Amino acid sequence: MHRVLDGADARIEAGETVAILGRSGSGKSTLLNLISGVDRPDSGAIELNGQEISSLGEPARTVLRRGRMGFVYQFFNLIPTLDVEENVRLALELNGIRGAQARQRSAAMLAQVGLGDRGRSAVDSLSGGEQQRVAIARALVHEPILLLADEPTGNLDEQTAAHVMPVLLSGARSRGAALLIVTHDIALARRADRVLELREGRLQPSAV
Amino acid sequence: MVPTLWAASLRHLLRHPAQLALALVGLSVGVATIVAVDIATASSRRAFELSMDAVNGPATHQIVGGPDGVDEQLYVALQTQPIAGISDPPAFAPVIEGYVNVGFHSLRLIGMDPLAMADLESGGDAPEVAEPQLTRWFTQPGALVMTDRTAATLGLLQGASFGLDIGGKRSTAVLIARLHGRGAGYDSLLLTDIAQAQEWLGLRGRLSRIDVRVAPGPGSARVASALRARLPAGVRLQSSDTRTRENLDMTGAFTTNLKAMSLLALLVSTLLIYGAISFAVLQRRRVIGILRALGVKRSQVLAIVLSEAAVLGLVGAGLGVLLGLAIGRELVSLVSRTINDLYFVVAVNETTLPSGTVLKAVLAGLGTSLVAALLPALEAVGSTPQLGMRRSVLEARATGLARRLVMVSAALAIVAGVVIASSSRSLLAGFLALFLLLLSVAALTPAVLRSLARAAAATLGRASPIARLAFGDIAASLSRTGVAVAALGMALAAMIGVSIMVESFRESLHDWLARTMRADIYLTAPGAGANRPERKLDPHLLSDLLATPGVAAYSMSRGSVLEMRGGPVPVNAVQLAPASYDAYQLVEGDAAHTWPAFRRGAIVISEPLAWRLRLKVGDTVSVPAPAGPHTFSIAGVYREYGSDRGNALMDLRTYRSLWRDDAVTSLGFYLRPGASARQVIADMQAQARGRQALMIASNADIRALSMSIFDRTFVITRVLNWLAAGVAAIGLLSSLLAWELERSRELAIVRALGLTPRGAAGLIEAQTGFMGLAALLAAVPAGLLTALVLIDVINRRAFGWRIDLHLNGAQFSNALVLALLASLLAGLYPALRTARAPLATEIREE
Repeated sequence: MHRVLDGADARIEAGETVAILGRSGSGKSTLLNLISGVDRPDSGAIELNGQEISSLGEPARTVLRRGRMGFVYQFFNLIPTLDVEENVRLALELNGIRGAQARQRSAAMLAQVGLGDRGRSAVDSLSGGEQQRVAIARALVHEPILLLADEPTGNLDEQTAAHVMPVLLSGARSRGAALLIVTHDIALARRADRVLELREGRLQPSAV
Repeated sequence: MVPTLWAASLRHLLRHPAQLALALVGLSVGVATIVAVDIATASSRRAFELSMDAVNGPATHQIVGGPDGVDEQLYVALQTQPIAGISDPPAFAPVIEGYVNVGFHSLRLIGMDPLAMADLESGGDAPEVAEPQLTRWFTQPGALVMTDRTAATLGLLQGASFGLDIGGKRSTAVLIARLHGRGAGYDSLLLTDIAQAQEWLGLRGRLSRIDVRVAPGPGSARVASALRARLPAGVRLQSSDTRTRENLDMTGAFTTNLKAMSLLALLVSTLLIYGAISFAVLQRRRVIGILRALGVKRSQVLAIVLSEAAVLGLVGAGLGVLLGLAIGRELVSLVSRTINDLYFVVAVNETTLPSGTVLKAVLAGLGTSLVAALLPALEAVGSTPQLGMRRSVLEARATGLARRLVMVSAALAIVAGVVIASSSRSLLAGFLALFLLLLSVAALTPAVLRSLARAAAATLGRASPIARLAFGDIAASLSRTGVAVAALGMALAAMIGVSIMVESFRESLHDWLARTMRADIYLTAPGAGANRPERKLDPHLLSDLLATPGVAAYSMSRGSVLEMRGGPVPVNAVQLAPASYDAYQLVEGDAAHTWPAFRRGAIVISEPLAWRLRLKVGDTVSVPAPAGPHTFSIAGVYREYGSDRGNALMDLRTYRSLWRDDAVTSLGFYLRPGASARQVIADMQAQARGRQALMIASNADIRALSMSIFDRTFVITRVLNWLAAGVAAIGLLSSLLAWELERSRELAIVRALGLTPRGAAGLIEAQTGFMGLAALLAAVPAGLLTALVLIDVINRRAFGWRIDLHLNGAQFSNALVLALLASLLAGLYPALRTARAPLATEIREE
């Protein structure tokens, strides 16, 4: 059996932005899956606000994930059959916020990321940068306490990434949410409060 | 439930209209087949019940005798001599019944006494004849009454004179009144006075039966018992329902076979709906993964997928019911024609939709869709939410599943064998085994497809990397290709099996006719109903016919119907020419013992009758005769395909001595060497002219007629078989279309690397054509096995006859055409689309 993470240990404070660097296959995605409760570790513990996640059953982890966390992916992972506003609203509705309130909040969130006029657009009609901003809006709209970003600029050119990242960073900071970014991009990592490197299954402070 | 999830679900369906439409078509056709068969059989059954109700009226019982009915003096005695000790005596009405022809229409002639019938009815639904017509009823020679609809069908106005053909003799009838607003049951009836019917049918002094109405109540059993005690030997009292049930039971095996065929269509469509819905779920694994990562619960994903399936199922079932109504109306004529050919005369003027059928259709559509969706949905939500498409994991699972299904296939085949071996007579067990066998084929097909595709990729791939890509893709996309090919394989196996069975049956019948039809010329009194008493040759004409120049020898036969346990049995009382004995191929008993015993008074029975009544050589059967029950021993069992209910053969002298009926129904003539059959027929026709219409045919004509009836009988089987195959073809089309469209980006990449548009189109056609052939390859051995089960288990258990296996290329060619047509057609649109699609758009990521 291949051991991906072995003794990885870290603590992230509320409002803090942490970047994790690592080579391909170093276990970055596995780490995100464990933190989000998608996977369970063989041993060890993951706590969110003092609550141990990995011992929870799958339904409880699902409820925790949708309520307290937000996700931004390299390939955006928007739902192609929903329009821009509906993609954002979905995160609210999953958390029980419905109707006019959900529509107002998702519209406001889209305005914050600069897409206030694109609410009814089909997601595949947007550029890569715009799609990532929709993904950020979806990740932030329900006010999570933890944002997980998996290579958020990996599918964007440098110029677009430069426009998108401030939206993510400021969105998290303004809400006091912790932001954990997994990335190859050293320039992006430098914009975090703290940088960790995942090497041989362990998290170590990085010199970057 | 979250509204946006529903919106996403609905839009997914609407964004794939072709896939949605094909899934609905497959489901609708499957459901429609069930509905159509139900309608066709129920309509024929209902028409027969209505006709029996009209004939029986409110009678609770019938007094019946032997083939020549009961003596009319019995009726007089019952009316004039009350049964002692009975306070509420039963009412009686005499009835004469026979078949007549008006032009090309076969109708039932009912002779009745309106006054006695009115007594019997006492407020019931008796056909009332108004006062002025009542006088004509009794006084006008040839007076007849029929319904408005029957008169319109025959083109007759009130007061019209018209010809009636009864057993080849022509009589003149007059339509004195028309019945208004009568139910459909009266449509095949002609009503006349009892004396007139006796004259027309040659039953002077006899009645077909006496209808009896015993007042309901606690004393009814005692009344029936007292009445029974009054009846002379050879005459019985039976409940009216019993006779109707016995007649309907005749068609039991026939309708069971139809239902099995419609279930086959549903089974095929089940697999296809499974394929279509599981494919839709597979296509959305990525979206399901995103939703799960965002926090959508498993139960919510399941609810969405199952709701989609339920909507599909309900819509498909609704469309299926409508389509089934349309197909059912067409099938009614096929079914009623077969019933008329084989069982009894019935006029179906109205289609009946049984109340349970709609419920059954909805449950079938809904259930099929839900089961089809449940497994892939459970699989999709059961795994860890994946944020990217893990096709490799999915396909590895599909490959593992295909391997396990080989074991399942073997287990199903073994269970099918055990079911057959452990049940000797159950038709249901036979069908169960057949379905298990077909499922076994379906389970085996994905593994066969994978092996063939890998082998093709390895061998042809050496010559062309494109070939390696094409066939390698099939093996590597088993989750997409396996179910569609399995469904097609199952339908093809059924198609081959049914085709072999029908052709084998046809050949066996052909051989049987060649053996049985030994005489050169056959002659019979015409009319509906093979063994009706009114079909008899004029005795004076008979002696003239036997003396026709050129005749060397003859067999003569009297058709009759005798009561044995289990109901009426057609009996042919025969006097055989020496050459005619060999016409009967004995499957039990040997000629050296059977025929001498036969001439001494034993009977020889057909294979279907032996099977149905569980009789064998040496057994005895008791038959009511005028002088009391007579016990016959069984001297032999012969092969026969003429009737699925079976026949008995009796020596003519034995019959005449017991039933005092000297009539002859038909003759078989052997000609002298050099005599011309055409000339002898012409001479016979000349002798009969003006005396009696006869059906005279050469040996070859009778065989041709028999074969045409056989072909008519199997038209419905072929129609249902093609429906099942059509469902499979649509399913294959649907699945392969979706698979190829899903791969459009991959193909675009290959095109970007240098494959020409024509090459890409060829690659797709090669893939779909290969899958069609793979399904056929799996279906050929399975089809042979299916044929063996149909021949040796289903036909044997349903009808009792044995069929010899006959194989030829044509039995497989339809399946080959279907497989290639469906698969190549499935590839056509994706091939054109791939060849024409702008590369830049196709290659664009996300």
